Amino acid sequence: MTLSDPESMNTVISKVLRYGVVISSAVIGLGVILLTVDDGLAQVSSFLEYDPRTIPHSTFPVTFSQLASGVAAGSPLAIIELGVLILLATPVSRVLFSIFLFAAEKNRTYVYITLTVLALLLFSMLATPYIPAFGG
Amino acid sequence: MLVFELLVIMFLASIAAGLVGSLIGLGGGVVVIPILTIGLGVDIHYAIGASIVSVIATSSGAAATYVKDKMTNLRVGMFLELGTTVGAITGALIAAYVRSTILEFVFGAVLLLSLLPLVHQLAEDIPENPELTGLSKRLMLTGSYVETDGSTINYNATRPTEGLAGMVVAGLVSGLLGIGSGTFKVLSMDLAMRLPMKVSTTTSNFMIGVTAAASAGIYFVRGDVDPVIVAPVALGVLIGAFVGARLLMKARNPTVRKIFVVVLALAGAEMVLRAIGI
Repeated sequence: MTLSDPESMNTVISKVLRYGVVISSAVIGLGVILLTVDDGLAQVSSFLEYDPRTIPHSTFPVTFSQLASGVAAGSPLAIIELGVLILLATPVSRVLFSIFLFAAEKNRTYVYITLTVLALLLFSMLATPYIPAFGG
Repeated sequence: MLVFELLVIMFLASIAAGLVGSLIGLGGGVVVIPILTIGLGVDIHYAIGASIVSVIATSSGAAATYVKDKMTNLRVGMFLELGTTVGAITGALIAAYVRSTILEFVFGAVLLLSLLPLVHQLAEDIPENPELTGLSKRLMLTGSYVETDGSTINYNATRPTEGLAGMVVAGLVSGLLGIGSGTFKVLSMDLAMRLPMKVSTTTSNFMIGVTAAASAGIYFVRGDVDPVIVAPVALGVLIGAFVGARLLMKARNPTVRKIFVVVLALAGAEMVLRAIGI
C-alpha cells in the first residue's frame, strides 16, 4: 500500500479513527476500574451540583499541568480525563492525516481546504478558551 | 450506592444514544442531554459537556467503519467542514450576547418545519442523479458506494453553496448551544445536495466529531467535562456506535430516512419545549 493508492486514504483514516477510539476507551476503562477499586465513587457526588461562580467548577484536572501531575500520581479522575483528551484529539488527527493523504493524491484544492479546517480547528480548541471575547 | 446506579443508567442510555446517533448521523446529544438532566438530575452544564464527548465518540467510533467501507464521502465531508468550523467559532464568539432560549426555540422550530419537505420523500431510495456541474465538478463532489444488494450506486452532489451555507448554520448552532447539530447537517445534504440518505448520514457522522472538537476545548477548560459523568457516557456511546455502524451497512435508505424523520421530530419538539420552559 502506498499513499498515492486511492484505496489508502480510506484505510489510513479508518485506522486513525479506530486507534484513537481503542486507546481512549482503554485509558478511560482503566480509570473507571481504578476509581471503583479505590471506592472513589463514594466520595464523588459533586456532579449533581454546579456552581458557576467557581471556575473550574470541580476538583478534577482541567489544565495540561494538572492532568500530567494527576496521571503521574495515578489519580483515577486524571486518567479518565486523559482518555477523554485522547478521544478529543482523534478527529483532529484525522484532519491532520487527511492533509498528507490529499497531498499524496496531488489534490491541491483539498490540501488547502483541509489545511484551513485544521487551522480553524486548532485555533478554536486551543486559543479560544483563553480569549475573553469567547467567554474563556 | 446511589452514584453507582446512576452511572449504570448513564452507561445503558449511552449505548442507545450511540446506536441511534451512528445510524442517522447525529451525536446522541438528543438522547444524552434529556436523560442526564430530566432523568438523572445532572446539571445542564455537565450534560452539555458529556454531550460534546458523546458526539466525538459516536463520530469516531462509527466513522472508522463507514470510511473503511467507503460509505462516507471524504471530499464532501472535508469541503463542508469549512462551513461547520467557521460557524462553530462564530457561534462561540456570539454566545455571550444571544439568549440561548430564543435560539433553541428558533432552531427547534426550523427542525420541525423541515419535516414538511422530508415527509414527501419518505419512501425515496436513491435521489435522481443530476449531471455534475459548476463548483460540484471543480470540487469533485461525486462518489459511489455498494448497496446492500451488491449494486454500485453512483451519485453527484448538487447545490454545494447551499450545502455549505447550511453547514455554517449548523456550526453556529453547535457553537452556541453545545450540540453536534447532526440533524441540520443531514438535512442540508439531503435537501440541498441531494445525496443518497446513507451517504448523508455517514458523512454527517464523519463531520460532527470535528464540529464538536472545535468547541470542546472551551468546555474542557471551564470544567464542564466531568470525568465521572463522561466515562460511562463515552464507553457506552462507543459500544452503541460500533453496533450501529454495522446495522447501517445492512439497512436500506428508506429505513434510515424513516428513523431520521422520527428522531428529527422528537429533537425539534424537545428543543421547542425546553425553550418555552416545559
